[in-house]
Amino acid sequence: MLTDGDTLIMLARLAAAVCLVLTPLSALSQESFPNRPISVVVPFPPGGMADLSARPLSVSMEQVLKQPVVVVNKAGASGAVGIQNVANSKPDGYTIMVSLVSFSTIPEVDEMFGRKPAYSRDQFTPIALLAADPPVLAVGAGTPWKSVKELVEDAKKRPGEIVYSHSGLYGPSHLPMEMFLHAAGVRMRQVPAVGGGPAMTLVLGGNAAMWSSPPAMALQHVQSQKIRVLASWGAKRHAAFPDAPTLKELGYDVEFYVWSGVFAPKGVAEPTVTILRDAVRKAVAFPEFKTSMAKVQTPVMYLDGPEFKQFLEKDARMLSTAIKRIGRIEDKK
Amino acid sequence: MADTFQNLLLGFQVALQWNVLGYAFAGCVIGTLVGMMPGLGPLAGISLLLPATFGLNPIIAMVLLGGVYYGAMYGGSTTSILMRIPGEAASVMTCVDGYAMTQNGRAGAALAIAAIGSFVAGTFGVIGLMLLAPTLAALALRFGPPEYTALLMMGFFILAYMSGGSMPKTLAMAAFGLLLGMIGIDAMTGYTRFSFGVIELGDGVGIVPVAVGLFGISEILMTAAAGEGPKVRIPKFRELMPSAREFKDSVGPIARGSLLGFLIGIIPGSAHVISSFVSYGLERRLSKHPERFGKGAIEGVAGPESANNSAATGAFVPMMALGIPTGPVTAVMIAAVMVHGISPGPTMIQNQPELFWGFVASMYVGNVVLLILNLPLVGLFVNLLRIPYAYLYPGILCFCILGCYSVSNSVVDVWIMLIMGGVGYALRKFGYDLAPVALGLVLAPMLELSLRQSLAMSAGDYTIFLQRPIALTMLCLGVLLLLLGLKPLLSKKKDWRSKVGLDEVPD
Repeated sequence: MLTDGDTLIMLARLAAAVCLVLTPLSALSQESFPNRPISVVVPFPPGGMADLSARPLSVSMEQVLKQPVVVVNKAGASGAVGIQNVANSKPDGYTIMVSLVSFSTIPEVDEMFGRKPAYSRDQFTPIALLAADPPVLAVGAGTPWKSVKELVEDAKKRPGEIVYSHSGLYGPSHLPMEMFLHAAGVRMRQVPAVGGGPAMTLVLGGNAAMWSSPPAMALQHVQSQKIRVLASWGAKRHAAFPDAPTLKELGYDVEFYVWSGVFAPKGVAEPTVTILRDAVRKAVAFPEFKTSMAKVQTPVMYLDGPEFKQFLEKDARMLSTAIKRIGRIEDKK
Repeated sequence: MADTFQNLLLGFQVALQWNVLGYAFAGCVIGTLVGMMPGLGPLAGISLLLPATFGLNPIIAMVLLGGVYYGAMYGGSTTSILMRIPGEAASVMTCVDGYAMTQNGRAGAALAIAAIGSFVAGTFGVIGLMLLAPTLAALALRFGPPEYTALLMMGFFILAYMSGGSMPKTLAMAAFGLLLGMIGIDAMTGYTRFSFGVIELGDGVGIVPVAVGLFGISEILMTAAAGEGPKVRIPKFRELMPSAREFKDSVGPIARGSLLGFLIGIIPGSAHVISSFVSYGLERRLSKHPERFGKGAIEGVAGPESANNSAATGAFVPMMALGIPTGPVTAVMIAAVMVHGISPGPTMIQNQPELFWGFVASMYVGNVVLLILNLPLVGLFVNLLRIPYAYLYPGILCFCILGCYSVSNSVVDVWIMLIMGGVGYALRKFGYDLAPVALGLVLAPMLELSLRQSLAMSAGDYTIFLQRPIALTMLCLGVLLLLLGLKPLLSKKKDWRSKVGLDEVPD
């Protein structure tokens, strides 16, 4: 059985072959990129944030590049499987990737555990930042705290007693909590879950007191008064939660974004990179792309290659510090 | 009640529109096919279809994906019964007695009972979803890590009854399954265990490649090694329908399986696989002739098949009522409506009644469609057995490999499946029962995670299991089951000793 993606690619290749035969020779001589379908590898399962931004992007990019742009999900090991796959793919511009913040954290964690890293960050050329979504601090309805101040005071009184959950060690909901707790100078216990849904379930069921939730996930539970949002990790207040202050406002110097960005493997020719960057810039401006992103409540934050590179470097330094501070969980016992 | 009726009427108005009906039908057909395909389970089917639904309206997307989900639960039994190849993880238990029935020439009856049981259970599940969603969802939320640990411990006690053969062999196989379940990244410390630098093993060994390898590939190898094809008696047409006795024997298991599956299904955490194991263990325990199990007992097909279907429906309860996914399948379905700007949850039932009630009504319709689809096809499916093995089995092997690969585009999964096929073949030659391996593999990571989560919550204090009423009750039940299981060992000591290691496992 062929997967949808494979079938599509095959059909597209067939179509491309037919086009090639029909194209006058003059057009061919320019060796223009792209002349066949492009695959966008998403190293996460369908339905996640990376997938939900890659799909509308691919639809818009198709219109810009006039070639099929096909999303291929290659999930596994928190993204490491797919990212490694792209790192080792042929750098011809026909394989690109939409990855999340874990792109920067996986090599750090590998290094800390003394493992052979699955890939290194410099195996990639950043093409563009698509979206950056600051998580929000969501506490269960059964908890007493109405503000971060009350929470921190209570946590100071009983260090290591309050329990928070997250979606996986060193992941995009573990790191922001650790950064906040460090800045506030308090200690809590952590209960890892596997994935965001189960982490939220622990909070809803009162088995954990809080977690740093993606805003889109928190919204409906706030409406049904199952959780409260006390703060957000962004530089400015989140549009969906105007009443929740940022941690920066409250005097904690932490900022965290779950971002998704487009990458190409290193070694793609400069003109091809330029074409891809242009294509993403135009695609992001499409109203269809903006509507799709708005529907999944993910704020678009576009940065072109060079600026994205700077953002990445700053972000990676911050994440590296946080990971090293957490250290190996076992060593602490 | 009048409200519910009125709402349901609204739902049927939506569900019976020709285009919605068409998509429900398409979903059921795709689901049945996906379920039959070895290796391809409901998750793979839904994940592959998800992108296609982004262009549809949310009701149609839900109806289509829902149809695939419970259609796969129906379809999963077919290859289990006819060829001992589980179409998806939840039909592993059906392989045991279903295939034995095929060998006895009762394939048609087994398929028919599986379809009828699935229909009853599916319909029961929808009624439960409709009437009890908000109430039950609140209960499901109280199911934290300690309760989950207790449930899984019960699963292990049930494991003790599962095998018809010798106790040491069963325990050895369960231990083998548990060890396989240890592979992968440790969720509590971040260390990788037994992965030997293979990144794909970071997520552990999947149940699908292992089940298809252990049961399916090993069966193909056994047939090839036997020289001549297995002596499967192809039933005559009038033998397709279950006999009156078979019907009578199935009523209890279907009823119990439906209730049990639904209750287990609403618990967050991919419990539908467990539901079929628990139902099998329960039926075997309740049976007056437990020795028939493993040799073609209809109860062993009726119970688990009903349980996995009502669990599939039960899984929608927390998703619809609370917006929390019970497992990967419901997580993907939440994504399917999220892209339309709708978040499932209590607000959705109020704000989008036509979506919720349309979906509920479409599930009634879908179950009828599946029954109509599956009963007449029983005759057709049984004809698969007429294909000479020289053609049938190589074809199945190809489907196994392709299906296994397409789940996560991973060659490593294919290798796992092939290696497990060899392992399964060798173990069966030595008379080991393979079902405990599958159960051990399913339970090990879940039990480990929930046990350690519980202890993380309590800072290492084991009394957390005694302080929570639901957990305590289940643990007591488990201990009771264990004592009941030990009783024959103590009172008939001699008989037990003479059995150890001497009994050949019926295969």
